[in-house]
Amino acid sequence: MGDSQYSFSLTTFSPSGKLVQIEHALTAVGSGQTSLGIKASNGVVIATEKKLPSILVDEASVQKIQHLTPNIGTVYSGMGPDFRVLVRKSRKQAEQYLRLYKEPIPVTQLVRETATVMQEFTQSGGVRPFGVSLLVAGYDDKGPQLYQVDPSGSYFSWKASAMGKNVSNAKTFLEKRYTEDMELDDAIHTAILTLKEGFEGEISSKNIEIGKIGADKIFRVLTPAEIDDYLAEVE
Amino acid sequence: MSRGSGGGYDRHITIFSPEGRLFQVEYAFKAVKAAGITSIGVRGKDSVCVVTQKKVPDKLLDQSSVTHLFPVTKYLGLLATGITADSRSLVTQARNEAAEFRFQYGYEMPADILAKWIADKSQVYTQHAYMRPLGVVAMVLGIDEERGPLLYKCDPAGHFYGHKATSAGVKEQEAINFLEKKMKENPAFTYDETVQTAISALQSVLQEDFKATEIEVGVVRADNRIFRSLETEEIEEHLTAISERD
Repeated sequence: MGDSQYSFSLTTFSPSGKLVQIEHALTAVGSGQTSLGIKASNGVVIATEKKLPSILVDEASVQKIQHLTPNIGTVYSGMGPDFRVLVRKSRKQAEQYLRLYKEPIPVTQLVRETATVMQEFTQSGGVRPFGVSLLVAGYDDKGPQLYQVDPSGSYFSWKASAMGKNVSNAKTFLEKRYTEDMELDDAIHTAILTLKEGFEGEISSKNIEIGKIGADKIFRVLTPAEIDDYLAEVE
Repeated sequence: MSRGSGGGYDRHITIFSPEGRLFQVEYAFKAVKAAGITSIGVRGKDSVCVVTQKKVPDKLLDQSSVTHLFPVTKYLGLLATGITADSRSLVTQARNEAAEFRFQYGYEMPADILAKWIADKSQVYTQHAYMRPLGVVAMVLGIDEERGPLLYKCDPAGHFYGHKATSAGVKEQEAINFLEKKMKENPAFTYDETVQTAISALQSVLQEDFKATEIEVGVVRADNRIFRSLETEEIEEHLTAISERD
């Protein structure tokens, strides 16, 4: 890809053996808005802050949590435009799998293919790594799953994870609160409480987004009204 | 132990700096301001209006050829703030894309889909070293059949949002502060109020009263969805209405 003039990788090893561009990409992720995910016994929830640059922005026009397939959803921390590219590529890969095998793509496969794309951009000529980390939430025959994919292309399955500005506080909070037998509704409450921990200002249904998937295997973004109900329960 | 800057190239092409920033993208934003004009867009209840300064640097120039307001289709307008050459390139590509969309899908390209296309293209330039980001902020306006008036702004970083009102260019921040106050209570502006809010916002932040020939105004209305650039006489009427109001 890219012009022949740039047929060399921009991500190269430093003398200490590090890939510095990837580290910088992780820094970009770390200064992005906080997002998190929790895997419950009967589903997965992902959530993110939705802080817009001005009150003049029409918040209904912005949706940070996106579907990749009817039963897999994703959210990011980092650079929004890079996220859109990955969503588009992942959706296409999922569709191609469906067309070939006449079966919905398993969550692990989709995560692996997305991660491969991200890795390619750390090695190909004339491109920079993606400035996003993704949380992928899905429910397939293997049950509920939550994966985190980093700019390097490495991915892990998580019981609960957080990314972005408030990552260390959020992870500490999640470590305390997480239990193996948590149910989806508890997980949603915990997710809201975790977001609240580092939230600057008043948390409301207008400045967070929540997506969930249960045993029905349908990934859904909650409406502001539903978020209000959960917020009231948390109070 | 991180190793200084990216070999000094992080300022020349779009690779990450040690702080995780893309300097070329940030410089592209500065290039938009360097063009020396300010633009404003306001979305009303059933119309959208965009306004920009019309600075003609040389008296020998043909004034009618100096414009930043471009129809992309009959129903979609694009106000480009920034480097003129980059704007024209973007508009040409946008026109092509909108025409292909109409042919492929059988209906007019909506404003938000065009905005997304522009933003996705801009993102490519922020990730591939061989092309620099464009020094343009594009405001796309149109009346959507299902969702009503739409105003979208796309920037060199590849971000795009729908706006109730927005601004770009030299006095962008001052204009946004002005508009935030006006739009705080979520008013539902009529067509005249929309146009006059946009024009008076520009006058206020630039602290000058304009003549009709010194600004360009573009509108779309629910009762006339064709994107139009207002004639000098119509701009005069609005300017008069504003000064009589104050």
